[in-house]
Amino acid sequence: MDLELVQRVQEGDKKAFDVLILKYQQRIVHVITGFVHDPVEALDVAQEAFIKAYRAIPNFRGDSAFYTWLYRIAINTAKNHLTARARRPPAMDVDALDATNYYDAPELKEFETPESSLISDELEQAIQQAINDLPEDTATAIRLREFEGMSYEEIAQVMECPIGTVRSRIFRAREAIEKQIYEIMSEEE
Amino acid sequence: MTANQNELLSALVDGELKGNELEQALQLLSTSDTAKAQFKRHQFVSDVLHGYVSQNRSVDLTGRITDALLDDPSISSATKRKALVIAFPAYFWKQATGLALAASVGAMAVLGVMSQPQNELMPIAAVASIEAPVQPMIVAQTGNRWTVGEKEVEDRLNTYLVNHNEYAGASSVFSYARVVSYDAGQ
Repeated sequence: MDLELVQRVQEGDKKAFDVLILKYQQRIVHVITGFVHDPVEALDVAQEAFIKAYRAIPNFRGDSAFYTWLYRIAINTAKNHLTARARRPPAMDVDALDATNYYDAPELKEFETPESSLISDELEQAIQQAINDLPEDTATAIRLREFEGMSYEEIAQVMECPIGTVRSRIFRAREAIEKQIYEIMSEEE
Repeated sequence: MTANQNELLSALVDGELKGNELEQALQLLSTSDTAKAQFKRHQFVSDVLHGYVSQNRSVDLTGRITDALLDDPSISSATKRKALVIAFPAYFWKQATGLALAASVGAMAVLGVMSQPQNELMPIAAVASIEAPVQPMIVAQTGNRWTVGEKEVEDRLNTYLVNHNEYAGASSVFSYARVVSYDAGQ
């Protein structure tokens, strides 16, 4: 899915790399936070990981998914950071292939504070409510996309509608969820 | 922003854009701050749904990374070198490869002909007739004719040679006649 963006970066298109950063920065920071607990340090390590990826991207051949490749770089950068700081890295060694399931790892949850956990619960409930309030077709489209990981083409087949309709439904669902999320986040601030 | 542009950015989050649409979305992101903010919101919703957001915090590293990349001359020159190498369109490389192949084959053919001694520049048929048979060597060892134990076989072989010689002589091809001779009765 990212191959065309990667090819554009390899051809010197900086805009395409910006999109890859926007797309994966949250996930990469989340993964790095599992190693580097300080949020400010975690951002520095994430930045370093992206810069390393940019340097190495001319050699990326697409043998693995771009995110898997980026994930390995991020993990190595985090471990190197800890070594440089003479800290012990977590005993758990993460396999790159488990990257997409990593957010469920207990090693990450234990760093959450009770307060942040409460906020997450509230956010989760708000998201569920927002999805339940959507028209059925729209709710199904976003569930199939976000929770089942289906492509637009697959969703179109399942829902027996054109791909354009799928695209439109997913956008409307995101807008509705977005409102709920930002309401909660603005209350926190 | 139009609804269509918003849908385009939402589809970009899902990696569902290719070709012109991808180009359009990249252009939009690079020229419009509103579009960039919208794309970040769409991406953030997706990240929240997947649980990638730590402590409900939205991060943005693009500015920092862009600045860091600009400050590193080795990175910008490396990508420029790469861009120069692959900037030509695909059809250019196809044509160039074809031309290079044709030129190589042509050059090899010319060089091959030039390196042949003059006396070897003769028709292919003549060359084949010289190189192919090894039997004349045998004949030469036994005199200028076939010497076979059985008379019938010997006669038949000599007949072949006579016929061949006549044909070769008529067509001015180098013949076996130099190494064989007629039997007394022929």
